[in-house]
Amino acid sequence: MDTVHFVIDKPQRWDSSFDPDMSEADVTRLMALRPFSEMDLEKFSKRTPLSGILKNDARIRRFKNGEIIVRAGDYGSSAFLVLSGHARVVLNPGLPASMLGRRKSQRKGLFEIVAQLWTNPRDPEVRTEAELEQDSGVKARSGSKGAGVFLQDVPRILDEHKTATMSAGDFFGEIAALSRTSRTATIFAVGDATELLEIRWQGLRDLLRFDVHLRHHIDRIYRERTLATHLREIPIFKRLSDEQLKRVIEQTQFGTYGDYDWSGDYKRLAKEGKHSPEKETIIAQEGDYPNGVVLIRSGFARLSQKFGHGHRTLNYLGAGCEFGLREIAHNWRHPADAVPFQQTLRVIGYTHVIVVPTAVMEEVVLPTVAESALPPIFTPGELAETEVSETTRTLDAGAKIGPELMEFLTENRFFNGSSTMVIDLERCTRCDDCVRACATTNEGNPRFLRHGQISGRIMVANSCMHCADPVCLIGCPTGAIHRGQVGGEVIVNQATCIGCSICSNNCPYEAIRMVEIREEDGAFMVDKDMRPIVKATKCDKCSDQIGGPACERSCPHGALKRMDMNNLDAFAKWLHR
Amino acid sequence: MKGFVRRRLLWVSLLVAATVSVASVYTLWAGATTRAAYLTGWLLFGVMVVLTGYNWFKKIPYLPLGRSEVWLQFHIYAGLFTGVLFLLHVKGQWPTGWFEIVLTCLYGVVMISGVVGLFISRGWPKRLTARGGEVPFDRIPIIRRELRERAEAMALAVVAEAKSATIAEFYARRLQDFFAGSRHFLSHLFEIRQPLNALVHEFNELNRFLNEQERKVADQLVALVRQKDGLDYQHALQLTLRLWLFIHIPVTYSLMLWAVAHIILVYGFSAGAR
Repeated sequence: MDTVHFVIDKPQRWDSSFDPDMSEADVTRLMALRPFSEMDLEKFSKRTPLSGILKNDARIRRFKNGEIIVRAGDYGSSAFLVLSGHARVVLNPGLPASMLGRRKSQRKGLFEIVAQLWTNPRDPEVRTEAELEQDSGVKARSGSKGAGVFLQDVPRILDEHKTATMSAGDFFGEIAALSRTSRTATIFAVGDATELLEIRWQGLRDLLRFDVHLRHHIDRIYRERTLATHLREIPIFKRLSDEQLKRVIEQTQFGTYGDYDWSGDYKRLAKEGKHSPEKETIIAQEGDYPNGVVLIRSGFARLSQKFGHGHRTLNYLGAGCEFGLREIAHNWRHPADAVPFQQTLRVIGYTHVIVVPTAVMEEVVLPTVAESALPPIFTPGELAETEVSETTRTLDAGAKIGPELMEFLTENRFFNGSSTMVIDLERCTRCDDCVRACATTNEGNPRFLRHGQISGRIMVANSCMHCADPVCLIGCPTGAIHRGQVGGEVIVNQATCIGCSICSNNCPYEAIRMVEIREEDGAFMVDKDMRPIVKATKCDKCSDQIGGPACERSCPHGALKRMDMNNLDAFAKWLHR
Repeated sequence: MKGFVRRRLLWVSLLVAATVSVASVYTLWAGATTRAAYLTGWLLFGVMVVLTGYNWFKKIPYLPLGRSEVWLQFHIYAGLFTGVLFLLHVKGQWPTGWFEIVLTCLYGVVMISGVVGLFISRGWPKRLTARGGEVPFDRIPIIRRELRERAEAMALAVVAEAKSATIAEFYARRLQDFFAGSRHFLSHLFEIRQPLNALVHEFNELNRFLNEQERKVADQLVALVRQKDGLDYQHALQLTLRLWLFIHIPVTYSLMLWAVAHIILVYGFSAGAR
């Protein structure tokens, strides 16, 4: 019998270009402009030439007067180069949230809470006029060539806020794009002729790899603006003088591992069952010489140790955690009994790290640290694996919550959640009181499914976890999905959401749903082409209610809890309650 | 001491304290006045009103009235406390008139259904978790239909492939009804595995009439039977975890109506409270 073979082309780097409308003429024009005209084309690889990067990883965008280019607090995956016209950076204290197309963070008053008894609509997903009303200072637009938010009264903003001008040739947004941190300032266009080149992070990464000038330029900005502030926040660097800190900054290396858009790949691999920790990129390996202290700046990394023929996950490290300090401090104090790395550090999804080399640590940093503040030295018993130190015990989260649960949380990337909905199935009577309470409190439609991944007696329900690394925020064209100012919860502003589904597609946990909304009389809202109006909906932790998340409050058996997965001690306490 | 144990000790202490207080006051009053039944009666009715309010509390989750978990604990121990009040109120005697007998029976049904509900709410989630195959209750019919369609398709396909109708006949005779709906409800509630074992045994008996190809299909059908049995287990236990409330709540409202009528009658025939 003949077998039918499906032949497909091997996926290529630029199968999906940033902007299909980018023409050769546009590329030729860009190649003649600085900084591209000054780049050495020979340095670029044949597979990723500069012209290819500009054609496939960049797009030219034109902004109108007052249109917001980037918002403070947003997560963006691209950087911008001003081609013509001007843009203004709003300096601190920045614009109010309502002017950025975000929802005003406010809880309902007691009367409003009680009034829900008679004001809650009978039909699900009803939106009132007030909910869809945009702030007077802001206006959203959507269209085939993108969507955006406009500041309505630019002269007044320029009068009332301190701003700085950016002109042709200026770069911005590169640090947030590369280090996956939130944008630190809002930038908007001034005049109707502002033209920008937007370069997605993959293109920016290649430009940095092949062009030494741009690399040095961004390297300098990063060291000046970000590194000093970040290192000062870490206890062991606190006692350094300005001169010493400068020396550390000069020697510090930084790197980005994994994939910025890890959620798409993760979803695909998880579906195919091909995800495996052994395939994760290694940042530092057990048994290797400790060549530096690794400081995690953003994203997550898996801490594991050899166990049998595999690796056992001890913990996951997030932003602010360090790796390798104990080994380096030990070797500095006992050079004759030098030890290698005792664990392996692997990238989970995306990780941005800073590495302070061992030589700098030994010469500059460690001499300034008090003996009592240094991590304990390794005992012979510990190195022979016959005893477990208190430090290792503290680090070994698997010992507290159980190794299976630890692997489960890591494999499914639930460590990302700052408010993960966990259900103790040995106490849950499946009564669905939580689901009903959620629906009653949120437009008649529950914002989660009481269903999800299970490990032993613990279920992680399909609900927004209000991630520490919220990939859903990447790419929202209007900034409708954002972090609330009060509790840091991820919320959607219904007024500026244009229903594009980018957040829903980005979410690796499938916690965002698109719904057709209704008017107060129950009829579905439609646009002028009679197509239903769609909005993104998700759990907002009942941020406008007084009592907190209705799901948790309504569970009669204490089986449901919103947990911060980066506080495994609290999780362990809840498990063993 | 673990959190749950500490909580239980606290509530039991409160219950004991309330029982001792009411019993002492009642003993003192009973000697001094003939109207001590009014005290226990009104107290019993008041507690019952608050207990009934728990159902309403659940319907308005947006009101900041505290955690349902705490209210349920109050509901359980206050419910047990009504037992003390009820015994004091009826002076430990079985009522004589039909009206009071109905009232007592209604109270008994509410109390027993509550205790049974508490018992299964604490124990059965562990059983469901231990058995595995967690599935939301409202998805059970969908999954059941999928299993039935897969089993039917297998049984029909093997007729043409193996040129034998043995499995198809066995399906029509023994499995069609099994896959058609939820089965062995009581066996699942009482953890009796006999119906499943019997079905698997019949498959084993059938094996000697099957060729290699049919045996493979039979093995796949046994796997589906086990899946369906697991689904029935989930259905039986989850349904019961919901059903007991369909007794507890309506009978509670009947009890409240009967209690109101009882109060009216008492005051009507005693010429009002003095």
